[in-house]
Amino acid sequence: MFTKFFYILKQVGIPVSPTSFLRLQKALAMGLITSIDDFYTAARSILVKSERYFDLYDQVFAHYFEGAELKDPEEFELSEIARTMLEEWLKDPKGLAEALGVDEKTISKLSPEELLKYFLDRLKEQTEEHHGGSKWIGTGGTSPVGHSGYHPGGMRVGGVSRNKSAVKVAMDRRYRDYSHEGPLTQAQMGEALKRLRNMIPDGPKDVVNVDKTIYQTMKNAGEIEIVFERRLKDRLKVILAIDNGGWSMEPYVIVIQTLFNYARAQFKELKTFFFHNTIYDRLWEDPPRLSKPFSVDELIRLDPQTRFIILGDASMAPYELMATDGSIHIEERSSQPSYKRLQFIAETFPHAVWLNPVMAAEWPYTRTIGAIREIFPMYELTIDGLEQAVTHLMSKN
Amino acid sequence: MANPNRQFSGASKYVLDEELARIVNISMALEMPLLLKGEPGTGKTMLAHAISEALQMDMLVLNVKSSMKLVEALYQYDTLTRLNDSRFGDSNRDVSNIEEYIKMGKIGQAFASDQKVVLLIDEIDKADTDFQDDMLDVLDQMEFDIIEIDKTIRAKNRPIIIITSNAKKDLSDPFLGRCNFHHIAFPEPEMMRKIIQVHFDDISKEMLENTVMTFYRMREFKGIEKKPATRELINWIRALKTDPDFKIKDLVRGEIPYLGILFKKSPDYAIAQRAATRMRI
Repeated sequence: MFTKFFYILKQVGIPVSPTSFLRLQKALAMGLITSIDDFYTAARSILVKSERYFDLYDQVFAHYFEGAELKDPEEFELSEIARTMLEEWLKDPKGLAEALGVDEKTISKLSPEELLKYFLDRLKEQTEEHHGGSKWIGTGGTSPVGHSGYHPGGMRVGGVSRNKSAVKVAMDRRYRDYSHEGPLTQAQMGEALKRLRNMIPDGPKDVVNVDKTIYQTMKNAGEIEIVFERRLKDRLKVILAIDNGGWSMEPYVIVIQTLFNYARAQFKELKTFFFHNTIYDRLWEDPPRLSKPFSVDELIRLDPQTRFIILGDASMAPYELMATDGSIHIEERSSQPSYKRLQFIAETFPHAVWLNPVMAAEWPYTRTIGAIREIFPMYELTIDGLEQAVTHLMSKN
Repeated sequence: MANPNRQFSGASKYVLDEELARIVNISMALEMPLLLKGEPGTGKTMLAHAISEALQMDMLVLNVKSSMKLVEALYQYDTLTRLNDSRFGDSNRDVSNIEEYIKMGKIGQAFASDQKVVLLIDEIDKADTDFQDDMLDVLDQMEFDIIEIDKTIRAKNRPIIIITSNAKKDLSDPFLGRCNFHHIAFPEPEMMRKIIQVHFDDISKEMLENTVMTFYRMREFKGIEKKPATRELINWIRALKTDPDFKIKDLVRGEIPYLGILFKKSPDYAIAQRAATRMRI
């Protein structure tokens, strides 16, 4: 039963396993599922193992049981626009009645569903009569009917209705916030960075080492000698160097603030430095990059096990990276070109990564990104990229 | 053995939404562990308490710690006591019998119990993935070996297993494969009112409305790292109720006492304090 449902789930990219599908069959056979509502919750809790896929599941469910068409991801935006526009409209019934040229009273008699259908039909007519839909939906000549990803049953009109059927609940797409498309939050970053840690013995000696105790006791010919040791604690040192200058970094400020806030709360030994575009002879400890310079040569005195994370878009004019005195700040003179400095940092700290808020697909279009990638392993500033970066930082070599 | 037809439908201090009730019942019928995720303070842990109360079963709580090894959750071999006994010989225990020095951990206790119990494994995400994978083997087989005495412990009754996780990140795939999953969303204001009424049955309507409304407004404050959740709201109302000087009108005027109960991180507290003075209902 519902084999097709299972395969559609698989097709859209929800990781469903055959075992869990068999389990669902078992639940059906046991008579635990008696209604479509039951099926909705049961199938979701058995098949779907992350709230990130709840939204997708809702869409598949609505598609399978109600025939709502599945959207391509590209169409998502369009249906979003249509939906918000329609909702806007419905908030103002008077305006709606006027726009459609009908009496408000006839409309108010209709139930929300009927009203919607009516409204949709009218909208269809109207857009066809007028500008081929471009006014409503955007470019590409897609009319609200043609783009299809959207079913009238999926709309929430005005107030909240209770006791909805499962299909309607699914069509509400309550879990959209949890899907991949959501913004990068601090908690998500926290999860990604959680594995960044280095356990070393620290604090009072209050843990008994049984093996050593037995060994020492035997050595003492049975006279008990209990051996205590220190607990393992996380003592990871992290240096975060942030590119905080220039317009090119402006769009990423919020993302970076999130990362920065998290890092400050998470790591006991966190040093933060700032730079503009790339690193020359100095890093700065203060964000305006004025009063607290820190010589790059000094870095060699720090623990080489420190994890060095550079955060920047790595986008600049090639000479800034390659030439001596390449800095765009006239007062910043440098003895060596920046790429030498970056190489020096990479050699000093074997565990170093460059996080780039620019999406990886765009990297080949900027030459300096390519040059810097030869020095540091570079990762996107996304959840996946962060996880890869953390894996790299924690690897042994 | 507990009546298998028993269904869970809420407890005295727990407001259950229909969806979750269904999932709990299906998990019990399928004898699968139920993995709960959601914001801290949305009642994940409380659910296990509520189930044990409603079905009148004992509950065992395994609080997972980051350094925990699976064997600690199963049993402990108390080598030190044995060493001590063998040295001084002043206890009634038989030193040559290792079994006397085996203490059951929480999972072991749940397996050994004569009654069906509720086993809550709290905050599984704190432990590393090895722990999680190993544990699910044990929970799947419903048995484990005590290596020291070469004995297999089998579960007399399959416990009802509730696992909670605060993590936004996914647990390992094989782990997820053997659990049912539910994500507890943050309750809507309407649900929240019901929850508050369950906890404070004598609360006045005015107080209920204003506190809940203020609470949801405060959750909207920009830049807050840890948003206050149900737990904080309940504690806050409790504090307001014990304060004889508190008047509901204060809330309406934007004077919010005991912000510290709601915002527990100092930067959050500072932000909330600033934002609260500008807030009017």
